[in-house]
Amino acid sequence: MTSDLCLRWAPMIGARPGELTPEEEHGLAEHLAGCDGCVARLADETALSGMLSQALLDEANRRDFATFSDGVLARIPERAWGGAPGSASAGHGQGGFLGWFRRHRAAAVAAVLAPALAALAAVLYVGQDHHDVPEAAYVEVTSEMGGATVLDTKDGPVVLLGEGEPEGT
Amino acid sequence: MTRRTFAALLVTALAVAALPGAASAATIPVRVRILKGSRQGPAAVDPRLADLQHQLGKLAYVKWDQVGERQADMDFNKPLSVALPDGASLELTLVDSRKDTVTFDVRVAARKTHSRLTIAKDQRIVHQVGGEKDGSAYFASIRPWP
Repeated sequence: MTSDLCLRWAPMIGARPGELTPEEEHGLAEHLAGCDGCVARLADETALSGMLSQALLDEANRRDFATFSDGVLARIPERAWGGAPGSASAGHGQGGFLGWFRRHRAAAVAAVLAPALAALAAVLYVGQDHHDVPEAAYVEVTSEMGGATVLDTKDGPVVLLGEGEPEGT
Repeated sequence: MTRRTFAALLVTALAVAALPGAASAATIPVRVRILKGSRQGPAAVDPRLADLQHQLGKLAYVKWDQVGERQADMDFNKPLSVALPDGASLELTLVDSRKDTVTFDVRVAARKTHSRLTIAKDQRIVHQVGGEKDGSAYFASIRPWP
């Protein structure tokens, strides 16, 4: 028999834990205690849920995953993992440090060339004599017979000793 | 990457590093001219001194004559002695040469004068080498790679 109370509580039958508020859980429990129809619905719901999970499990069990890993390994190119264990190519030629270089030629060349080019650039930079600035003529004059005057011109220095006195200076 | 390629790169880097040092010549041609400047007389510059006119024009001397010249391939740290008209001598030493500069030591023993001058390769030195007498004085012009 279906009543207004059944219409209210029936949708909550089979709810998962946490979906109902405590008040709703309490109300549903009270209704189930006095309603055989809803108890029967609950039994059907429980049975259906159990059957569904069991059906999924059965379906999964019908698949054979024993060959899954073999299939994955078969799709990976041999050179990427050094060949099958025990095969001829998995020996000394492909393994180890040199084997990595053979399998990653571009990366190996870049790894060696980058520091080499950086070192070359440093050598070129240091090799340039940054002190050779034409305008920076350096003149040092010492004289025990009077002072000296140095005129700096774009064509070079002019050094006057003692009484030499240039115009306009 | 092979060992051969790595060795080639290393040799190239070393060769490039050695280039600046290899560029230094064993000797450097130097032209030394002895000039006489006078305060008196009509303003005139010896035509052979035309390339020095900008430097000489800074001085109070108005008449300039070239009274001596010497050209030599100078070795480093080997003094070159140039006789001056007043009986003294000028001692010139090539001290250093770099990419764009060259350094000379100029000594005038009679004047107890010692100068060290670093100039650009396209410059020249005008250096007084004697005291002024009767309004005239001697100078030396030093030019590398004339």
